[in-house]
Amino acid sequence: MNTSTVIITILLLVIVIISIQKFLSGGTGIVILKKELKSIFYSPIAWIVMALVMLLNGFSFTAALEILRKTDVDETLIGYTFSSTSFWLTYFFIFPVITMRLFSEEKKLGTIETLLTAPVQTIHLLLAKYLAALVFYFIIWIPSAVNFFLFRISSADNANAIGSFIGAYAIIFLVGIFNIAIGCLASALTKNQLVAAMACFTFCMLHFLVGFILQDLPVPESWQGSLFYFSTVKHVQIFISGLIDSRQFIYYLSFTILILSFTYNVLEYRKWKA
Amino acid sequence: MIKVSKLSKQYVERTAVNNISFEVEPGEIVGFLGPNGAGKTTTLRMLTGYIPPTSGTASIGGHDVFSESIKARQKIGYMPENVPLYDDMRVREYLRFRAQLKGLRGQEARQGVSEAIELCGLKQIKRQMISSLSKGYKQRVGLADALVNNPELLILDEPTNGLDPNQIRSFRELIKQLGIRHTILISTHILSEVEMTCNRVIILNEGKIIANGKPNDLSRELRSANTISIELKASTKIAKDLIASIPGIKKVSEENQSGGWGYFTIRTEPGNDVRESIVHLANTQEWPLREIRTRNATLEDAFVEITQSNTSSS
Repeated sequence: MNTSTVIITILLLVIVIISIQKFLSGGTGIVILKKELKSIFYSPIAWIVMALVMLLNGFSFTAALEILRKTDVDETLIGYTFSSTSFWLTYFFIFPVITMRLFSEEKKLGTIETLLTAPVQTIHLLLAKYLAALVFYFIIWIPSAVNFFLFRISSADNANAIGSFIGAYAIIFLVGIFNIAIGCLASALTKNQLVAAMACFTFCMLHFLVGFILQDLPVPESWQGSLFYFSTVKHVQIFISGLIDSRQFIYYLSFTILILSFTYNVLEYRKWKA
Repeated sequence: MIKVSKLSKQYVERTAVNNISFEVEPGEIVGFLGPNGAGKTTTLRMLTGYIPPTSGTASIGGHDVFSESIKARQKIGYMPENVPLYDDMRVREYLRFRAQLKGLRGQEARQGVSEAIELCGLKQIKRQMISSLSKGYKQRVGLADALVNNPELLILDEPTNGLDPNQIRSFRELIKQLGIRHTILISTHILSEVEMTCNRVIILNEGKIIANGKPNDLSRELRSANTISIELKASTKIAKDLIASIPGIKKVSEENQSGGWGYFTIRTEPGNDVRESIVHLANTQEWPLREIRTRNATLEDAFVEITQSNTSSS
């Protein structure tokens, strides 16, 4: 790591710590977070999403096991599970489903007015909703970790390197915080949940596909360096191989903060359009 | 309690609120009256800090609604128009959430919620889902939400909108009762409501304050332009002309006629009581006179008079 990376990392951490501290102060943030989590888990949608993701993860996991059993390869079980086509096919449907109702429902019901005329700061509202979605996203991935854990207990250890395990969940976390922020922004922009879901899906996909240019198209040598930063597929490969790269931490974290600040301004838009 | 000075809200196409100033003292119940689109909701939204004014200032209990927004909002219980609520929560759960949001914790929150439930008569339905409630009950939940932290000021935006007459009556009683402990600013276009509950009326039209005073004063002001109804037996054509020739009468209109009896509505010029002259005229013409009475201007007359004359002149 060179000095500029260190400085940027420290800066990002400071922003994260300040926002967490701000969120905890006064306690209204926690109140909204609790309410959001309640309304997520009291609705059937959450459980359906969790069941489906579990099913698909199980499918990827079984397929990966099959590959390991049939052929002699040097990849890990985790590598095959998280880079299979079925994984990527379903992965980007999770975000719209989690985030679409966050703000658009409040706008549609008009409850955004009762919320923001109560002594609640907009930043508290934003962080609470974002964190609620994030918590749900983490919970979705717990069953898949159980798969690997059981496999670890029951088998020889050459196929499940711990580095690869940590790397895989680190990158799922990073890509998650980024895409959920996109979902928040999409949801804050419209009253219509369907539009929010479509916008979220489109933007998540667009970001993902920019990365694919590097994968699939013959790009000039000079572009490769910068395109690499956008390439989620490449990031996943790197992390799954067990290398936890600080550049990706900085990339996803800084973009998350940027997009959340956009969302904040969208929520405050009514204040400065006058 | 409320101090508004030179408040304006300018949208791209139109001016919603145009340079209004008023004050509300602690303990008052003030009616905010105006036709639809007069700028009532916009004004209330500015007072609650939801949207900023284009110019001017407003303060609640000494706190500016923008620079000290959170402090000002702590003093307000606001019930927006159409009462937005979360459908997927139960009544008590919702009130609990709102109480915590407004900074009440633990025992305080429980007490606030149970008091609000008691006051608004929500006891039987406190465990029901909000989605299953009738309009009247939803309205009460909205009011309970506004009351839950016992704020000094209640701002209610068309609270009786869409209720049936019985519900409106009980709601009015509730507001009167609340007026003992709270300052209330209530927006409405239902006049009888204001006449019965408010100490003071502010009439708003096209973004401007066009009247500000006690309900009785406003209607008394108008009473100068009086209306007299008479019923007599005569040839309408002749009677109408003869009555119109009495000095001090602005206009005579004939409402209907049945069995030879004619019914006239007479508008007189301010300060003129022409009843005597009319009786005299009827006597000399030997018209049987069956009824003569003055009609007191109600707040409704005041409202129509003021808003319409204002609209036509602008």
